[in-house]
Amino acid sequence: MEFDKNSTLKLAKLARLSLNAEQLNSLEKDLTSIVSFIDQLKEINTEKIDPTSNSLDQDLILREDVAENKLSNEDLLKNVPESELGFFVVPKVIE
Amino acid sequence: MIENLTIEQTSKLLNDKQASALEITDIYLKKINTAKKLNCFITVSEDKAIEAAKETDERISKNKKIGFLDGVPLAYKDLFCTNDILTTASSKILSNFTPTYESTVTANCKDQGAVVLGKLNCDEFAMGSTNKTSFYGPVINPWKSIDNEDELVPGGSSGGSAASVAADLCVASLGTDTGGSIRQPASFTGLVGLKPTYGRVSRWGTVAFASSLDQAGPIAKTVEDAAILLQTISGHDNKDSTSSIRSNENFYSNLDSSVKGLKIGVPKEYMSDDLPEEIQKFWNEGKKILTENGAELTEVSLPSTKTALPAYYIIAPAEASSNLSRYDGVKYGLRVKEKSLTEMYESTRSEGFGDEVKRRIMIGTYVLSSGYYDAYYIKAQKIRSIIKNDFDNVFKNVDALFTPATPNTAFPINREETDPVQNYLNDIFTVPANLAGLPAISIPFGLDNSGLPIGMQLITNSFQEQMLLNISKNLQDTINFNNRPTQWWK
Repeated sequence: MEFDKNSTLKLAKLARLSLNAEQLNSLEKDLTSIVSFIDQLKEINTEKIDPTSNSLDQDLILREDVAENKLSNEDLLKNVPESELGFFVVPKVIE
Repeated sequence: MIENLTIEQTSKLLNDKQASALEITDIYLKKINTAKKLNCFITVSEDKAIEAAKETDERISKNKKIGFLDGVPLAYKDLFCTNDILTTASSKILSNFTPTYESTVTANCKDQGAVVLGKLNCDEFAMGSTNKTSFYGPVINPWKSIDNEDELVPGGSSGGSAASVAADLCVASLGTDTGGSIRQPASFTGLVGLKPTYGRVSRWGTVAFASSLDQAGPIAKTVEDAAILLQTISGHDNKDSTSSIRSNENFYSNLDSSVKGLKIGVPKEYMSDDLPEEIQKFWNEGKKILTENGAELTEVSLPSTKTALPAYYIIAPAEASSNLSRYDGVKYGLRVKEKSLTEMYESTRSEGFGDEVKRRIMIGTYVLSSGYYDAYYIKAQKIRSIIKNDFDNVFKNVDALFTPATPNTAFPINREETDPVQNYLNDIFTVPANLAGLPAISIPFGLDNSGLPIGMQLITNSFQEQMLLNISKNLQDTINFNNRPTQWWK
């Protein structure tokens, strides 16, 4: 897979990244190189193999679904870039 | 007297009342101050360290010392969330983030009375093997070649965790290992670095890179110290659904350095003509020592070895692109103001992430995107099954595997890099253990002709950390590696 300007920009859009001309240029080159590296796996036959998503030989352990109140509203908002009345504030999404 | 202390020695000094925790902490804070050139620390938590040391001294005066770590100055990779201490993951996007909670791992150390000197520089979001991707600049390896004055990389991503212990700016440290990020820097700095079995250590409160691979672990001066730290940070945590329910073990008390009768495998796929002669030499020497000490060495085969690195560079970026989607400027971290929400996301992420992080997010987005998901992501997960199966097979016949930790020693920071794949090859010996979830350790073996440390790796089956530590202790006690870098940075 050769990455060109269009395919790189499409991917950047999906990843919510905006790129300048210089970044775009070097990413096209880097992505092409990395994908050609991972493409060597195409030669391996994996038809009858099940995928492993997690190496731990144990089912996921869930705790009881009980509400806890460990972080206060104040704590939760301590790092927020912008807040009002105890809520997160973002640019307007509905006209 | 207070120089190059291990956890064991520090604890003894305090027990014998030969020094107070405050005195020891002061000395380490001063050392940190004289080693700014190395760029190990992003944050020095001086006030908190002094407060904790005073609390230890208070306990000692009442004969109520709470454990091995009580009063021992440690430092943590800046990937562990620490309550009320800046936690950046070495990224601009978190450069203003101060958690209001404590990661399970660091909370466990705190409960044992550890003194936290500060937060250590690393590759941005733990992505790298040179520590050059940090927003805060590269960490400089305390070790230098005897041939020239070049500044060398400490390895990565836990570069600050390794360099700070090697330069004796803390007694021991914690790092994280997703593809070799504890073992490779430990090897580059002459230290012991241990990656536990996946699930042994809780990931809660540790900034996520690749959730199915990440494990926290110690970087220490001795195998004994690594054992103490491992047992401190291990154990089930109901805040991490992948945390193992196995009960914790007393790795330190159970250390037994005999290797008599153990079967140790040497994977033939790790042998290569490209391996530097001096690394090969120490590898051979290690095999000889283990044999002389009573172990039985045997050649084994892990046929899938060469597929591990490409599979890793699908799985890790895929999980990273998903994990890093949370950095959008809404709830915490950097926000770049824009008129619309989407523009805000894009500008924040573009300004907040560095080049390597962007590359990995892009690759991860690609391998997870519609039409490519099966061909790349599922394919890589199937390869992972093959790799795990290979290990399962060899562990039917051997107790441990013995390999080099890295294919090279520390290299110059200004080495020219034209292709990111070149750097990815640094992890060639370490990545398979992460994919299979196995515990692995890097231990120092000697110096190459340029005077730079070389480390060897041991891998055991899941949850066999005790055996890993035992064999390591045997090698450590036989080799007696006690070289330290000259303190040129002072």
